[in-house]
Amino acid sequence: MEALAETVRRLSASSRRTYQNPYEAIAWPDDLDRRQWFTSPQFVSLYGTPAWESLDDDRRKELSFWEAVNFYSLNIHGEKALMEGLAHRLYQPGMEAVAEYLHHFLDEENKHSVWFGTFCTRYAGKVYPDRKVVFPRDHAEGEADFLFFAKVSIFEEIVDRYNVAMGRDDALVPVARQINANHHAEEARHLVFGRRIVQELWREWSGRWPDEVVDGIRSYLTAYVEATWREYYNPDVYRDAGFSDPWKLAREAWDHPATQGHRAAINRSCLRPLRQVGALEAP
Amino acid sequence: MTEPDVREALRSWIAERNPELPPGEPADDTRLIERRYLTSLQVADLLLFVEELRQQPIDPASLRPGVFRSIDAIHSAFFS
Repeated sequence: MEALAETVRRLSASSRRTYQNPYEAIAWPDDLDRRQWFTSPQFVSLYGTPAWESLDDDRRKELSFWEAVNFYSLNIHGEKALMEGLAHRLYQPGMEAVAEYLHHFLDEENKHSVWFGTFCTRYAGKVYPDRKVVFPRDHAEGEADFLFFAKVSIFEEIVDRYNVAMGRDDALVPVARQINANHHAEEARHLVFGRRIVQELWREWSGRWPDEVVDGIRSYLTAYVEATWREYYNPDVYRDAGFSDPWKLAREAWDHPATQGHRAAINRSCLRPLRQVGALEAP
Repeated sequence: MTEPDVREALRSWIAERNPELPPGEPADDTRLIERRYLTSLQVADLLLFVEELRQQPIDPASLRPGVFRSIDAIHSAFFS
């Protein structure tokens, strides 16, 4: 953990320097015309599929609104689990060296959830429900902490690819562009921290774990990557956008070569840190 | 769908994700989680599959502990 100390000091100083009031960072219109882009077309889950081709421009924009509600909803659920895990690890023995930054991480995640929750409740009147379930299980020493930060890293790396592109997309309605840009600005620090702590925990523990634990971690993280991506193909979105068989559409969209290519391209860069340390195998 | 159709669809869904399953598994009362035929990361996908079989959404907040324990339990919770 000592190797992380300099990174923690640098990231904490940056968090304090750019500290922002979440209630002033975004300009919230009273209401929104849905005939605008809320998600960049290439990040709409149906992009490149026959269903996308069948839609006219207004319906594509309406779909892009519900896709934004889903993207923000899955961020809310991801950040809830993240905040629980961060709070649990504050001043935990072995985590003292990073406690200073965990405070900032926790604070910033809470702010992000304010933005995501405000958009969903104000403009859609709801947050899409979370279908994830956790079964309790035993872990080897050090395994739970490693898996927690590895999952955070996977989740946030994927989200950030969307944020970076959509934070710069002038075609997006300003409130959506601001949410993505502001989220990326703070997530950039979280990604640096995530990569470093995953590297450090793997270096510290992997040599002490028996082979079956290491193999189990690799299998689990591979399954976690797929489960994370599955949330981007949400039948609730397709139902709200007016499709008649949303579950079939979700399956077809998931299986389509265009979406497989999209996920593979993003995975290549997002999963590199975990592949480099050996916690994930190359595809 | 008839009850046997639903049970068979659930059995096939589990079997597809566990190619090493012995013949006849999972039975209707096989403990899916204890036997590791069903992992926590697969539950969201299974829930969508159950929704599709029912052609009706399920509120995840309404899920009670044990609903994914076995094919019997899944059938009883969502199709009875």
